[in-house]
Formats: sequence, C-alpha cells, structure tokens
Amino acid sequence: MTFERIKNLQLSIIKQIEIRASKHPNAISLAQGIPSFDTPECIKRRVEQAMRRGIVSKYSLSPGLPELRELIEESLSEEGMYYDWEKEIIVTVGAIEAITATLLAITNPGDEVVIPEPTYTSYREVLTLAGCKTVFVPLDEEREWAFNLEKYRKAITPKTKAIFYCNPNNPTGTIYSRDQLLGLAKLAKEYDLFLISDEVYKDFIYDSRERFSLAQIPELREKVIRINSFSKSFAMTGWRVGYVHSDEKNIQNILKVHDCLATCAPVVSQFAAMGALEMGKQDTLKFKEAYINRRDLICKRLDKLNNIFEYIRPHSSYYVFPRLLKEKDSWKFALDLLDNIQVAVVPGIAFGPNGESHIRISFGRTEEDINEAFDRMDKYFIQKS
Amino acid sequence: MKPIFKQILKYYLKYLTKLALFFHRPMIIIVSGNSNKYFIKEEIKKILLKKGFDVRANPKNFNTEIGLPLSILYLKSGYGCYTNWLPIILSAPRAVFSEFPKILVLELGTSAPGDMKYLLSIVKPDISIIYSITQRYLDGFPSLEKLIGEYEYLAKRTKNLLILNNDAELVKNLQIGANCKKIFFGLEKGGDWQVKNIKKNNKGQGFEVYLNNKKYKDIQINKFGEHHVCASLIGLIIDKQFLNYAE
Repeated sequence: MTFERIKNLQLSIIKQIEIRASKHPNAISLAQGIPSFDTPECIKRRVEQAMRRGIVSKYSLSPGLPELRELIEESLSEEGMYYDWEKEIIVTVGAIEAITATLLAITNPGDEVVIPEPTYTSYREVLTLAGCKTVFVPLDEEREWAFNLEKYRKAITPKTKAIFYCNPNNPTGTIYSRDQLLGLAKLAKEYDLFLISDEVYKDFIYDSRERFSLAQIPELREKVIRINSFSKSFAMTGWRVGYVHSDEKNIQNILKVHDCLATCAPVVSQFAAMGALEMGKQDTLKFKEAYINRRDLICKRLDKLNNIFEYIRPHSSYYVFPRLLKEKDSWKFALDLLDNIQVAVVPGIAFGPNGESHIRISFGRTEEDINEAFDRMDKYFIQKS
Repeated sequence: MKPIFKQILKYYLKYLTKLALFFHRPMIIIVSGNSNKYFIKEEIKKILLKKGFDVRANPKNFNTEIGLPLSILYLKSGYGCYTNWLPIILSAPRAVFSEFPKILVLELGTSAPGDMKYLLSIVKPDISIIYSITQRYLDGFPSLEKLIGEYEYLAKRTKNLLILNNDAELVKNLQIGANCKKIFFGLEKGGDWQVKNIKKNNKGQGFEVYLNNKKYKDIQINKFGEHHVCASLIGLIIDKQFLNYAE
C-alpha cells in the first residue's frame, strides 16, 4: 500500500548513519549534532524543584507556560528583538516541530520554498511532508559558502512562498553577513515571500563577527519567522524544547498547527527551558570555549590529512564540512569509514546536491573522541595508500 | 545546593543586606505582580537614569529570598556551585560599605505563602507598583485568597505611593487597607492615568496618554504588546511623580 503523503519521505541520512553506527559497539560518532555535555546542573535543579512542587504533570497552555514565554521575550529583547510573549511566541517540541508547524501553516501543497544548500537535512523532508517543492540554491564554496543573491532571484517563481535558511549554517558553519541578509530581505519584500530563519547555533560564533538576525528589524516582522531551540545552547537535545516567534498574524496560524501536532511542548522541558534562561548562560559560555578548542583541534587533525580533505575553517556551529579530494561519492566514503574503522560521519549529499563530495564532522563530541576518530583515520588512510 | 547551606546563606545575605540598607538608606521602588515585572523595572530604571539619578535594579529576575539580597548588594549568584559561592560570601561584607545607589528598583516575586513577608522583612518600600494577579503561580498557594494576601501585605507596607493597575480588579482592590497615596492606571477602565487609541505600526506601537481625562502626551514605543504600553505608562507616572519623593 502506498501512502501519497509519505511516499517520497525518507529517514534523514544523519539518523540513518546513527542507526548503522549503533550496530558497531566501538563506533565513534562524529555524525549527529549532539553536544558531549550533560544538561547544566542549574537546569536540572529547576526541573527537580518543579517536579517536587507537582506542577509538571498537566498540559500547559498551547503556546507554552506564560512565565517561560515572558522569559523568552526578555532574552529576545536583550538581542534587540521585540516580540509580544502573549501573541507572538510559541514554545515548541524542539526546533523541528517549530519548522514543521511553520511550514504547514504558511504553505499550500504545490508551493515552492527556496533553500540555500548545503544545509540541514530535515528541511527537505518537512517540505516533502507539507507537499511543497524544495528549490535548492547552491551556496558559493569559493566565497566561504556565502549567498549569491542573483541565484535566489533566478530561483523565485510565482509559486515561491518562502526562503528558508539556517544561520549560522549547518553544516558549513557559515555566518551570513548583515548585507547578505538584507539582500534576502529585499528579495522577500519584492516577491512577497516569508523568510524562515533557523538560528539554533546563534550562541556558538567563534570570532568577532556580528550576530545579526532579520528578526531585529521591526519593518520585517510580518515577513520573518525565527526559530530557535534550547538543544544546542544548553546541551538539552533530549529535552525537546524550542520556540518560534514572528508577528502575531503568522504566529496565530502556526499556533493552530502546533496545537494539532503537540498540544503543548512537554511541561517538564518547559521548566528546564526556564532554568536555562534564568541561570544557564554561564554554561553556554563554557560550552563555547570548549567548542573553540575542539574546532582548533579538529582543524589541526584535518591539516595532517591534507591529501584527503580540504576545508574551510568554520566560524560557528560545531561542524566542519571538508571537501573530499579523492573519493567523490560522499555516501560511499562515509560507509567506508564506518564499516572499516567504525567512525561515523555524515555524507555531504545529505545536505543537498552541492554537499556532495564533502562530509560533515561534528566537534560536539569530546576531544578524546575526536582524537580517537582521527587516529583511526590517520592509520586507515596510510594503510589504504 | 544543600538545604542547610541554603538556609545559612539566606540569613547571612539577609542580615548583611539589612545592614547595608540601614547604613545607606536608599529610596526603594518595588515592582511586583505575577507578570511584566521585568519590563516595568527596566522602564523605571531607564527613566530614572535619564533624569540623572543613581539607580540599581535587580539583574535578570533576581527577585527571591537569595536573589533579592544579591541584587541589593550588587553581587553575582553562585547558583548551585559551592566553589562559586565562596568568593561571593567573602566579598559580601565589603559590599555593605561600598558605594551605594540612591535609588533601588527591585522586582519582588512570590511563589508560596509567606514569600512576601520574608522579602519585606528585608526591604521597606517607598513606592510599590503592582501590575497583575493571575493564576500563574497559583500552584504554590492553597487558594487564590492566599495569593492575593501576599500582595495585600505589600500594599499595606508601602510607605509613600502605591501604583495599581485599574484594569485588574484584584489589583485595584489592593487599595483597601493601604495607608499611602494611590495612583491608578489602565487601558480599558481608565484611572488617573489612561492609555487610549493604541495603534500597532511597523515600528512598534503608538498611543495617547491621558492624565485625569486630559490628553497628556502622544507616545511611540518600539516594542509590541499591551504590557509594554503599560510599562511605558508606569515610566511616565514615575517620571512625573518622582521628584516629589526624591526631595
């Protein structure tokens, strides 16, 4: 029996790789973007306190606990974004539910959504589920994976509904500049498009580059739908909690879909998110320091394998996206590493056609894991040659 | 943090804070209620700083038994880490005699019966602003009356001026039994200060402010939501009223 809605869906390649890796007891996974850290103690204590008070067992309001949304509004205002917690912020089951609810709310089947690629794998799957067509626009690797606005203009058709980007970008670690983003905004105005901005890596920028979001511009608030999550910034991937904000015109539509999908985000996780915003910011800074060291380590190790990889040093997120110099088939390369030396990485093709001939390596894992994975790769490539 | 350590810390900070307040005698403005405390506090702080006053406010939402003394003494929190607390505990006595602001703008929160009584055993408010009483923290109280009782306690212990939200019936009723001057503000039901004709635009919100039914000012803010309109209105009230109390 074939089901129309899911016939073209596939389990994301990242998860496929993780499932394969789980069959190797000694596998080291540098595949999925999981921070090696545990959730900070202050967050766990906030949850324990809420559980002891018996206030986590009931549904919250569909958009989320008012006190959490108020805290989110406060934290947004610290970053120059002004959104009304009562009408313009929804707490979601991680960023992926925010993405799904948003796309289901603002598109019709048959619509097109333009996505710069390589980028996060699951966007395409959610668009397929929504019955939309993904229109990939390649980023320029020669310009450190920057936008080329003319390519966007060419990709826009009367069916285009939105441009959907990840900033900082996963897997390339690119931060789009203010000028590039304002260029996108100009296009969005000209063609009446939504701009969906996934900013889950915003707290991990490793140099003095400006952290700019189009959601900071009040005139764009009806166009921009911004998505964020607690998963990366506070090592809370398992808690599944994130949020989406935009002008109330958009949020009230997204809320209807969110209600269908989740009723509300898990209340226990909403208390964890409150703990994160109240007390977790120091921990985020500690994580960032660790990622800078790990980024430097992974770059050093990649430098030693310069006959295998060529890479652009990432400025943000916790991924590096090296180009493969010999093997062009990224699936084959990733499976080869997994089967022979039990090192899991993500094939670049997972992130769009322009990602082929690359792999994504996560430095969310510990320095020991990174060193062990690269020790195995060093040996393996010597043997192979 | 172990309960015993927390208790020792709580009382240690409390008595140092009382000593600092006795020694420096700042004016104390309290912002309380179940919501919107942060933005009202920030607005008042902004207004007073603009007028050239020396002001200190709670960082973030430090508004509970340990957070409040830390805010007043201008100390960081060690959160749950003992080693973080050690330098804070050691430096706290020095904070008592360090440079101190003339005005404190403090959020006070209550999540269980008796919280307000404890916090007000540390600070004596000159001015209190109460914005809302909702069911938000009702889980910590046996009844709504007990929650209201917390705010009644604050209203009764405010020395000079009570600023109350006229649109919120439960807040408005706090005037009963309070012995200081009262000012009422609101959007729908009016009061001494009222906002009319709120218009959302692509830069924020524009609105008209009325004082005793006479137009006082047109305001444009860059934030969205009625709670920001109210925060801005409270800022105006403080702006106009404040000098009387500063003298």
